[in-house]
Amino acid sequence: MSRPPQTVAQKIIAAHCGRDAVEVGEYVTVSADYTACQELFWPGHKRNLERIGVDRIPRPDKAVMVIDHSTSASMGSHHHETHRTLRDWCTKQGIENFFGPGSGLRHQVLTERGFARPGTLIFSDEGNIASIGALGALNIPISTEVLVSLIQDENWLAVPPSARITLTGKLPFGVTARDVIQAILADATPGGRLLQCCVEFDGPGLAELSLDDRQTLLASLFHSGAYTGIMQPDALALGYVRARDAGRPWQVVTADEGAEYVAHLHYDLGETRPMVTVPPDAHGAVPVEQTAGTRIDQASIGSCAGGRLDDLRAAARILRGRRVAPHVTFYITPGSRNIYAEAAREGLLEIFAEAGAAVLAPGCTTCWGYQGVLNDGEVSISTQQFNYQGRNGSRTARVFLAGPHVVAASAVAGEIVDPRALLAETAA
Amino acid sequence: MSDIPKGRAWKFGDDVCGDDGIIDFSIVREGFGKEFDEDALRAMCFRRLRPEFPEQVRKGDIVVGGHNFAHHNHVEVSVAIRASGIAVVVVESCEAVFIRRALNTGLPVMICPGISTAVQDGEVISADPATGAVTLPSGRMLHARPFSPRMVQIWKAGGVIPLLEREFAARRAAQE
Repeated sequence: MSRPPQTVAQKIIAAHCGRDAVEVGEYVTVSADYTACQELFWPGHKRNLERIGVDRIPRPDKAVMVIDHSTSASMGSHHHETHRTLRDWCTKQGIENFFGPGSGLRHQVLTERGFARPGTLIFSDEGNIASIGALGALNIPISTEVLVSLIQDENWLAVPPSARITLTGKLPFGVTARDVIQAILADATPGGRLLQCCVEFDGPGLAELSLDDRQTLLASLFHSGAYTGIMQPDALALGYVRARDAGRPWQVVTADEGAEYVAHLHYDLGETRPMVTVPPDAHGAVPVEQTAGTRIDQASIGSCAGGRLDDLRAAARILRGRRVAPHVTFYITPGSRNIYAEAAREGLLEIFAEAGAAVLAPGCTTCWGYQGVLNDGEVSISTQQFNYQGRNGSRTARVFLAGPHVVAASAVAGEIVDPRALLAETAA
Repeated sequence: MSDIPKGRAWKFGDDVCGDDGIIDFSIVREGFGKEFDEDALRAMCFRRLRPEFPEQVRKGDIVVGGHNFAHHNHVEVSVAIRASGIAVVVVESCEAVFIRRALNTGLPVMICPGISTAVQDGEVISADPATGAVTLPSGRMLHARPFSPRMVQIWKAGGVIPLLEREFAARRAAQE
């Protein structure tokens, strides 16, 4: 019998359970290339390891442990103790892939250090790590169950259905990838057609996007209810991988002709415009004009949805020679130490400092209210992932989500503004 | 006694947020890195949507949810529902990760299209994760996607950690 046509997700999953093909919906047990884990749940993981009685994990080389949520933990805080506990445990287990505070987000560690390569399958604790799909790697989010794959070197999953989003055209002046994904999320009915899917992005529009842009699209996809996402790596992506693979194997995986997709959406990048997502709904994106004039107290650029070099460059385009409004606190968080260093080399940090922005150590920082906590009634505009009530402190605070141009321009204006006027002045 | 969950249904609508709806995110943020505060989680569970829930929920009750149930959920959401005594959650649809998070804490979540219109609040229904059968008071049956044998094992053990604890103990005993 001939093998039924397979999507990219099916092929990668089949390859990791020793099969030729798998069916959508089928439960399979796979051995992943890596398991990526953050620190916040580690005290619980450690207790559970002791309960189960595991002294040694079978494949320490497959563990990628990153302290990214509480990078600036003060001495004596329980997060600071967690850092010590995790570091000691990694040393005892012989885990070399331990990345301490300030290294960056798991997303960036996985791509920048060559773990995410075409065809790899990575178990992780969060859906937003789908950003690694920009290099053709498949993120399978399993939450706190990362412990199971660490101690058993395998775990179960249900083969997800796949959907396609085809991109055409080119981003117009002043528009970023964040605006595109916010528009996609606004169209995606909550619980709608992308629910539980692996979303494959394709089309000529992809080649018009930088690798940072592509990661931004994938990182926020999970708000649609999608399980994960992936892209066909092109020459740009493969060049990035080759520079970092250090001889480790990889293989580009392509979907078969006739593979089944439960939905196929089309977006023309040329028709997107600056968007702002209105709280508390992740799907509430509207054109920026509809929120213009909303006074803000805080602005932030960072997170797995908006802390990459292209985001910092976009902020600098706005901030060069300008000042943050006196009543606004503006936090900028590079997504990794490498991004931080490159921002320094390009002179971006100097622009941020002179504009009056505060640069924080690489990590999740403001995205979960660890830093930049909002008081009652305060308003923030941010490139972060979440806008539901209480995410950043008070339940009466409001967080508007936007791309880096909108956020930086709003920080300068002291209220939400369309960034294109400032950008046009800069360009002139 | 049958081990198929049977209990009163608590009905909820579509697009119920986990972190900012079923519970408050503040308890997640403040609790990171500590033991789950099950008493506090139980006291806030569904309170904002059904203020009477924490007081009136009984062990073995069943939560019936609409589409996109518990979106944006940390594991504390599952712990809160399980600690409230809920035996099983039956929904029209939800994210894949919610099913895993819940199952790992011992709470089965079944996806059962048609459930929200078929069940009235307070009706007694039964729902079997192993077979996917959901039986209504009229005797009519709906069909959810059955759990895999491994998922059933995790559910019956009360979560993935108790199951692994038992399996590793058995493995050690076999080696001795």
